[in-house]
Amino acid sequence: MAASALGQRVVEEPSLRRSVTPWGSFAWGYSDVGADIFVGLGLVLGAAAGASNVAFLFAGIVYVCIGLAYTELAAAYPVAGGGQYFVFRGLGDIFGFIAGWAVLLDFTIDIVLFAWSCIDYLSKLIPVLSFVAHPWVHFCVVLTVIGGLAALNIIGVRESSAFNEIVSGLDVVSETSILFFGFLFAFDPELLVHTMQIAWPSTFGLMNGVSLAIISFVGLESISQAAQETQRPASVIPRSSIGLILTILIFALAYSNLALGMHPWHALPKDALGHTQPLWQYLGNQDNNGAAVAVLASYVPYFGTLAALYVPVLGAILLLISSNSGVFGSSRIAYAMSGAQLLPSLFQRVHPRFRTPAVSIAAFCGVGVVELVFASLPSLSPPVKLVYAHFFRGESGITFLGDLYAFGAAASYSFVFIALIALRLNDAQSPRKFKMPFNVPFTYRGNRVEFPLVAVLGFCGIASILAFTMITHAIGRIAGPTWIVCGIVGYMVYRRYKGLPVLRSQPHDWRKAQINILRAAGELELMDEYLTNVSRMDERAATVNAAAP
Amino acid sequence: MTTVHVTGVLAALAILLAIGATLYWMLHPPTTSAERAARLTERDVAEMIGSVLVVFSQEIHSEHVMSLAARVARRERAQLLAAYVIEVPHTLPINAEMAAEHREALGVLQVAESIARANNVEINTEVVRARQVAAGVLELAKHAQVHLIVLGSYREGKYTGAPLGRAIEVIAAQANCDVLIGIQGTQGTLLTPPKRDAKAVAR
Repeated sequence: MAASALGQRVVEEPSLRRSVTPWGSFAWGYSDVGADIFVGLGLVLGAAAGASNVAFLFAGIVYVCIGLAYTELAAAYPVAGGGQYFVFRGLGDIFGFIAGWAVLLDFTIDIVLFAWSCIDYLSKLIPVLSFVAHPWVHFCVVLTVIGGLAALNIIGVRESSAFNEIVSGLDVVSETSILFFGFLFAFDPELLVHTMQIAWPSTFGLMNGVSLAIISFVGLESISQAAQETQRPASVIPRSSIGLILTILIFALAYSNLALGMHPWHALPKDALGHTQPLWQYLGNQDNNGAAVAVLASYVPYFGTLAALYVPVLGAILLLISSNSGVFGSSRIAYAMSGAQLLPSLFQRVHPRFRTPAVSIAAFCGVGVVELVFASLPSLSPPVKLVYAHFFRGESGITFLGDLYAFGAAASYSFVFIALIALRLNDAQSPRKFKMPFNVPFTYRGNRVEFPLVAVLGFCGIASILAFTMITHAIGRIAGPTWIVCGIVGYMVYRRYKGLPVLRSQPHDWRKAQINILRAAGELELMDEYLTNVSRMDERAATVNAAAP
Repeated sequence: MTTVHVTGVLAALAILLAIGATLYWMLHPPTTSAERAARLTERDVAEMIGSVLVVFSQEIHSEHVMSLAARVARRERAQLLAAYVIEVPHTLPINAEMAAEHREALGVLQVAESIARANNVEINTEVVRARQVAAGVLELAKHAQVHLIVLGSYREGKYTGAPLGRAIEVIAAQANCDVLIGIQGTQGTLLTPPKRDAKAVAR
């Protein structure tokens, strides 16, 4: 952006071009969150059985609260960084680091989990890629996919926004069609009730299902990540976020109910013991849980014939995009955290030729590869399988990755709720074009503020999901906290080495930052409102000081 | 095996409706004051440009603005009228034969027609005789009830120091409708009259 003053040209610092439209903003989020149901459905059916729809409902309610929180914060602070930035701004440096570190865990899992699932979907057309039948082939292909994505991102090649938008559009139409035809021709409410009665899980199973169901709703970060590039972010982001929340919620609830109450068009294969198995059980077994949507779609009357051919491919493309969003999401977050001196400047280093954050990309894809090895080891090596069976209740493969994904998401979302409450109290002057509903107004330090009740509800919900994850997932209980603790130790060493405050925050000029954010986003009316609010607050403070003895 | 159950049918329709309504709502976000102002201006201009008169004369060279006017007329579905005004000296009767000027007028209007055709716009053309160009244009504009008069001007010879020319100044000052004048800047090229090789044109 350039401005001219008194004949002299004043060049301002370059900013990201605002080219993301309302559909583009939706597509950014959808290409990440939309892929989750492709992975989550089978896992939840395997864990929560006849209560899968209840598990999705519980996680869905929490997700709505999370979505509303992200919507409010992303519209008020339209800056690339998402949850990490909100926590950094609301709770200070160390919590900003912890939230960012948890998001980074999620992004690295994102890379592996979706690459894994992408191959699972393709295996429905190319059986040699099946994880159960050919674990080594599966491992090598997933490894190649991760390596390929890392290389492409280092070179600087990314899928175009238009491609994202087209794939998202096709997928919305496709999923709506699957559900429409499924409910129209194969849904039986009596079968749904019957399944819920005879296959209701234990409390442990339900908690396990709920903790896995939350992974169907992870990825709202992406809309916030693109906030700086979105046209009129304060108006568009609330719409695209709420549109995304509702779309995903409808899909998740509809799929889970359909899976429990659908009569398959063709007879299902018998299980290992030669027994007839219900659809939900077939979708949740280890053969199919990585590609449950494609399998379900193939059993939808009439439409299933067509869906069996294209859903594995469409699902695989969407999952690949989602995996890629993990690669560039992790590098973006690491870059932003490095800029805020929460991570070493190494992560800001740009490749001299390709001008991409090569170190970040290589480092976090490397973490992803380590996770892939841990997830695949039991299937690749029988002795390791025994170790996993003894220590981790045999959790491996996609369940292993799902556990860690649920832990990272629940941890980072918990901080976002606290940050939202803190920002409501400490930054009441920032205009919020969208606010979470149900607020209690009161006066805090002389300012009129609104306390968000939904944020408290959401925090309780996500904290309970975090607790469920810790209780039910041996891997999540060990590997998740270990990741966080290692990160905190590294953070402390780095901050001490740099002579920066370790537990306290560095001084930040948030007023100047907010003006710059709103100006860069083109939200000039909000910038005016912010300046008015700030000057009013200063006047009030001056009056109080003058009145004081 | 298919099972059509009324609950299933209702659920299927509800899903379709809910997804459709959500996406529709999402894709129509509230507008900002800047967008509203821009939209109002667009609407005003669209209403304003019902018919466009492009003026030519010996002194007024509007070929290039004619091309712009044709594009506007196509977009706004406006009627396009191109008129060449022949200035008849007071020493001659108004209907005196001025073969050279008339030939020149027909040639210019033919160019105007070609430009309109190239832009896929219908056009009416007219040769007007008047004692003064300005008076002829104003009379025609009133008679044809045009909403916009478009004319071009460029710096050359006698326009030095008075770039608009007297006729253009009178039209701008006295027209009842809006007037769009293309004025060439010192470094501008858009309004420069074409200086083509006659042989090349003939080919």
